[in-house]
Amino acid sequence: MRALILPCLLACLSLALPTERAQATEFKNVLVTDVSKDQISIRSNYSGETLLLFGAIDTQPYGEADGVVVVLRGPAQNITLRKKNKQFGIWVNGPAYRLGDLPSFYAVASSRPVAELLPSARRAELGIGADVLKASNLDAKVDAEREAIEAFLRLKQQANLFAAQSDAVEIIRGKLFRAEINLPAGMPVGRYTTEFFAFKGGALIGYQTGELPVDIVGAGHILHEAAYNMSLLYGIFGVALAVFMGWGVAIIFRRS
Amino acid sequence: MTLIGMGGLVGFMSGMFGVGGGFLMTPLLIFIGVPPAVAVASEANQIVASSVSGGLAYWQRRAIDIPMGLILMSGGLAGSYSGVQLFKLLRAMGQVDLLISLSYVVFLGVIGALMLRESIQVIIAARRGRPVQARRPGQHSWILRLPFRMRFRRSKLYISVIPPIVIGYFVGTLSAIMGVGGGFIMVPAMIYILRMPTNVVIGTSLFQIIFVTASVTIFHAVENQTVDIVLAALLMIGGVIGAQLGARVGLRLRGEQLRALLALIVLGVGVKLLLDLVNQPDELFSLTRMGTGG
Repeated sequence: MRALILPCLLACLSLALPTERAQATEFKNVLVTDVSKDQISIRSNYSGETLLLFGAIDTQPYGEADGVVVVLRGPAQNITLRKKNKQFGIWVNGPAYRLGDLPSFYAVASSRPVAELLPSARRAELGIGADVLKASNLDAKVDAEREAIEAFLRLKQQANLFAAQSDAVEIIRGKLFRAEINLPAGMPVGRYTTEFFAFKGGALIGYQTGELPVDIVGAGHILHEAAYNMSLLYGIFGVALAVFMGWGVAIIFRRS
Repeated sequence: MTLIGMGGLVGFMSGMFGVGGGFLMTPLLIFIGVPPAVAVASEANQIVASSVSGGLAYWQRRAIDIPMGLILMSGGLAGSYSGVQLFKLLRAMGQVDLLISLSYVVFLGVIGALMLRESIQVIIAARRGRPVQARRPGQHSWILRLPFRMRFRRSKLYISVIPPIVIGYFVGTLSAIMGVGGGFIMVPAMIYILRMPTNVVIGTSLFQIIFVTASVTIFHAVENQTVDIVLAALLMIGGVIGAQLGARVGLRLRGEQLRALLALIVLGVGVKLLLDLVNQPDELFSLTRMGTGG
């Protein structure tokens, strides 16, 4: 009897998860998790890397989990999508769609296809899967919204900023799991969040979340900061560098 | 590495043909996927380096008309400011890429066609063994007799300052929008409209380009944050080395054949940009970031 009630109870509890994730600690959390790095440093020669996310599943309370899902999410952005249309024989940017609160980076790794683990309504609540992401529509142009979001997903996937891998979480003897998420060279900077989910019978039995800062470091960091926060100085520096190089080269080649 | 290579290639061509590389480099950067707005602003930064390098040689030969350069520059600075403002406005409307492409299609088309016609005429005339007459275009003297006349000793001119200011303004605007020095407009304008002697034209043009592209760089950095110093520095390295090598090769080739070749390259780039506008793109949507959301 108890075994039957618990998943139901958990399902009810976890309904509140997307808004109040703190409640996740109220049930017996079966997950202990960690990430191979506690921050990502992007240097000028950064060419991407593979992030390892791993953990242990406590099989004592509920037995083995049906599936484990790991989500890495970049900071939310407001974006403008523009659709080209043909005017006077050439393709020009036409209508613009402004979409809010969409993640700049989004990767889902799971032990099975997420659609097999959960119905899409539930996935939407938990934010699992790019196909169920909701944008706050800043213009309220509802009719065009779906097409725009699909285009957004397509563009992000092409840039390797959105990825879903249904076999990227490996569960070892039901107790340990590891997931690999590929980070591309051009990843946006900011505070990323990691989320780990364990499911049994469609109910959430384990949840952990953490932060992963992604920052540009070294000389690139100084330039990046300067370009946005001290743009006048940055521009003057660009010109000074150019004058210096032009002058230097003229002198070098005159001697030879 | 690719960027240094491209800088080298375009630098080689600009050294060989004796033109600034901006109007070839910016489209090339766009073709390899650099956002047009970044390509324009960073290329302006690179041109500062190449025009300093080239301008120094003319300075030492005293082939710069400095008062004329300063007057062109004053128009150019105003032009670059309004160009950057226009750029910023259209960027907010999502139409700046279109403005850049269209400007290039028009200018590359017109200039490529004119150069090709001129060089073919010279080649044909040379084959027939006839000497080529330098065409004296019609008089524009009423323009030069406008008020505010000034004496330019090195150019041996006594003309109104209005036409150089207007020309400078126009070229400065182009510089801001297209990421070019504008020598390809400035030099003919100085010869045919201002009637400056050819020996001071290139030096004076380079002189004012230094200041105009420097101001374009700073205005773009402040208003649009589109200057990528790393990109510009890579282009500078490639560009200056290429320019020196190109200049040596260029000395061994015939002028009119060089110009015909350059004209074909210019037309080719213009046609490619036009096709990109006319053909249906694979992806109709484009994405711009507006800032960090909640």
